[in-house]
Amino acid sequence: MAARVVIAGGGSGATILANALDHRRFEVTMVSASLEHLFQPALLYIAFKGAPVNPVRDQRKLLAKKVALLHDRVTRVDLPRQRVETASGENLDYDYLVLATGMGTDPAQIPGLAEISARFGDYHSTVAQARKLWQSLQAFGGGTIVLGQSSPICKCPPSPIEGILLADELLRARHLRQRSRLVFFTPYPRPYPAAPINELVEPILADRGIEVMRFFDVDRIDAASSTIHSIEGDEVHFDLPIIVPPFVGADIAYEPPDVVDPDRFVITDQRTLRVKGMDNVFAIGDGANLPTSKAGVGAHLEAGVVARTLQGRPASFNGRTNCPFDLAGGRGTFVIGSYDAPVVKLRPSRLHHAMKMLFGRIYWLSLRGWLEPAFRLYFGITAPPSRRAGAP
Amino acid sequence: MAPGTPPHTLVDSRGSTCPGPITDLALAYRRSKVGDVIELWATDPGVKPDVEAWAAKTGNRIVSLEDQGDKIVVVLDIVRR
Repeated sequence: MAARVVIAGGGSGATILANALDHRRFEVTMVSASLEHLFQPALLYIAFKGAPVNPVRDQRKLLAKKVALLHDRVTRVDLPRQRVETASGENLDYDYLVLATGMGTDPAQIPGLAEISARFGDYHSTVAQARKLWQSLQAFGGGTIVLGQSSPICKCPPSPIEGILLADELLRARHLRQRSRLVFFTPYPRPYPAAPINELVEPILADRGIEVMRFFDVDRIDAASSTIHSIEGDEVHFDLPIIVPPFVGADIAYEPPDVVDPDRFVITDQRTLRVKGMDNVFAIGDGANLPTSKAGVGAHLEAGVVARTLQGRPASFNGRTNCPFDLAGGRGTFVIGSYDAPVVKLRPSRLHHAMKMLFGRIYWLSLRGWLEPAFRLYFGITAPPSRRAGAP
Repeated sequence: MAPGTPPHTLVDSRGSTCPGPITDLALAYRRSKVGDVIELWATDPGVKPDVEAWAAKTGNRIVSLEDQGDKIVVVLDIVRR
């Protein structure tokens, strides 16, 4: 009899896993609150380039035929009883559960942010918000653009700097740069948190005349005076604010409740991906509290680890990151590291930028698992050197 | 915890390299109050200069910063928030 696998969530990790499992051995049910699958990296290009793309596909067409898709929202997970409960009242019993519940934006954490986001848009939540930000940039006629992340937890760590560099590029193209001030704020000690990548990024920011405010952890935004205040006591005035909102894990009640942290991220073993205290429950993607970047590559690789584990093959997640980083001007780099390897400093190039653009085109194929041999080859060739001998 | 002992938050950032332990420290700082103690565990050697810069910027006090071989342990007094 096939083992029952419930996958909570419908993002990239969930979809790759659902398709990767052997459907003769596993009866797979995906529970997804949305039937629209969003290619999230496209939001950057909609917001800063007005890209006329549709980054959404029908989730039903992305899954193997034998995967059952339940369009519903998980509301409660009872781990001792091995049961998932949904908003419509369904109770799903499982042999294995994979939590791929992602993370969402939570502007309510920062006073004033919801009002600012509603007025100017953002590029980390929805297509509509990204289009609104593009309209805000189109309407901008000079002044101060302030961009930064409002919380240390950020989906796609390169995205704040990608945003400010693309804003700079846009203003130059529109001959507005002379009349504009660009300010980048960050809660970190340097513009990019990983020092080797920062060595590449900081000179670019300086070269483009972008001011940097370090250790700027947003406390509140005063829309009336157009000012952002930091916990550290600094403030900055804006004409156009572009704020990366705070992120939190999915709003799901757990039994026991202590399997999530205060920001609702699932407490997960960083190597086995098992949820704290559970042998048959795993967490992958942005919703897991793993000490690595919140980015699609993590979800992809973690899905592979869980698929191999469930199918009886030894597998362990090494924390690999592989975040493409658009540095504007048609150049890019990648943020490549792992638990055991410090981030590699990869020289910016047009090739890296082209690879990022290529991934946008092959994303939908990658969800079906058809490109796994190529991905395995790529991740093998580009594996960062481990800082300790014998590390997995 | 003994009566009168300030709230002691343990932040385990071992294995975290990117964005790094400073992320976890910043998150703990957001939730802290004056008088709290934050103890940060990290394996990334970059934590030392980062925490020193963070403390200088925020006006908080490093009680100790010790490399124990398998991990670096930083104890911070939150005196400004």
